[in-house]
Amino acid sequence: MAGFHTVNRKRQMLEDVIKTYLINEKQVDPAKFDIPDLQVSALQLDSLDMVEMLFEVEDRCGFRLPDPMRYLTMSFADMVADIEAAVHAHGNGDLPDWVATKPET
Amino acid sequence: MRKVVITGMGAFSPLGIDRHSTFANALSGRSAVEPAPAEIAQWLPHVLVAPAAADPEPLLDRKYAGVDRATQFALLATHEAATEAGLAGPPPDSRRFGVFAGIGFGGAQTVDGLYARFYKTLYDPGSQHRDPTVLHPLSVPRMMANAPAALISMRYGLHGPSNTYSIACASSAVAVGEAYRAIRHGYLDAALVLGTEAMLTPGSLMAWNALRVMAKPDPVTVARSCRPFAADRTGFVLGEGAAAMVVESEARASARGATIFAEVCGYGCSSDADHLTAPSAAEQVNAMRQALDEAQLLPAQVQYMNAHGTATETGDVVETQSIRTVFGPAADRLAVSSTKSMHGHLIGASGILEFALSVMAMNSGSLPPTANLENPDPRCDLDFVPLTARHECDIGAVMSNSFAFGGSNAVLIARRFAS
Repeated sequence: MAGFHTVNRKRQMLEDVIKTYLINEKQVDPAKFDIPDLQVSALQLDSLDMVEMLFEVEDRCGFRLPDPMRYLTMSFADMVADIEAAVHAHGNGDLPDWVATKPET
Repeated sequence: MRKVVITGMGAFSPLGIDRHSTFANALSGRSAVEPAPAEIAQWLPHVLVAPAAADPEPLLDRKYAGVDRATQFALLATHEAATEAGLAGPPPDSRRFGVFAGIGFGGAQTVDGLYARFYKTLYDPGSQHRDPTVLHPLSVPRMMANAPAALISMRYGLHGPSNTYSIACASSAVAVGEAYRAIRHGYLDAALVLGTEAMLTPGSLMAWNALRVMAKPDPVTVARSCRPFAADRTGFVLGEGAAAMVVESEARASARGATIFAEVCGYGCSSDADHLTAPSAAEQVNAMRQALDEAQLLPAQVQYMNAHGTATETGDVVETQSIRTVFGPAADRLAVSSTKSMHGHLIGASGILEFALSVMAMNSGSLPPTANLENPDPRCDLDFVPLTARHECDIGAVMSNSFAFGGSNAVLIARRFAS
């Protein structure tokens, strides 16, 4: 079983993947991520932005996350937790190391 | 009827990353033909290509990373044309300003990449945990044929129609012709016109190879493998790249004090309705005559033609017959060249690239040659400007032919602008 610190490190990795994508590719102001209880809707992403954002995770993890639009009603933290849970379930109980790296295309 | 003028031109081709270097290399007779890269040559060791003079992606804003290579070429060529025409952002008359694009096989790179990724994931032992169907969500908007037109309308804020024409080798000649008509008849005041193509992919080259129309490598000098109108021709070479033009009404151009490069004055188009790949002289003649009639020019008033000239036996011979039929005695005084001998066949981009080269030839008085034409086919008996450029020519009007698989023929005429 993975240790507490390993789990936290991988969760942070997952959150960073999403944040970095939104800052670099969707021009989201980095300061927004300092807002407590930041809502996904406050990121002003349209439906195409949402599926592109999720693809950053899907591309690394090799499976498709269901129903992207449901994240629009969540907080950013809840969305990350939800994605983490999905990745966790897909990885048979662990966040895989390959979360950190994109596959070669 | 309103006069339609060209106020900007651009190219990103196998011969250069802008229109001036493309034209200069065409005049020097330089061929961009080379062996296909290893990923293709491992399956098709004899296939040749004419790749673009540079990789487009590093030259673009990073927001265009990942869009199809054809769209990237289009963005670069239109940037040059738009800059020449003083178009940097949304013009005040944006609803009267359209985008007209020509492309043969939209999204070839995206489609090939998609299949490559699917099968790599499926058969890679290290990827067994991965679902091979997880693909980029923008795959469809990247591969759709109208992706270049869409992104360019967005880039410049142009709210007129953004139309894409896919007529194989005649695609961008038709795009120019239809933009010209829309302005001439008052539907629009200006248009950004482009042709683009990027299909030097393993998948599409395998398909072209199967058709058995590709040039064989010259045993001594690979660069001279494409030989239009020559007795020792062996076929054509696929190229890639884009070219673009800004066309507008004379009134709009004059009102803003624009530099006018030429007047587009004639357009003809026809369909053979006969054969998927074999050309028909009768309908090529029809298209050329339509263009001459619209321009109100006699054949003798056209001094230079950029021929379709693909270096296939049937194509070269039939085009020669068609030119002789249309031009009659004036055919012997007409200079004709096929620049495909140097930049290859850019399919959807070829019509507008060759029309732009024709306009530059008219304005400079220098005619690009038909490279590699050392052994003329006796059935192709026109003045094909063999091997070397011709300078100090007095050219009042030029014609550019584009004849497509599927039997579509498009002919454009430009003449020197006189207000």
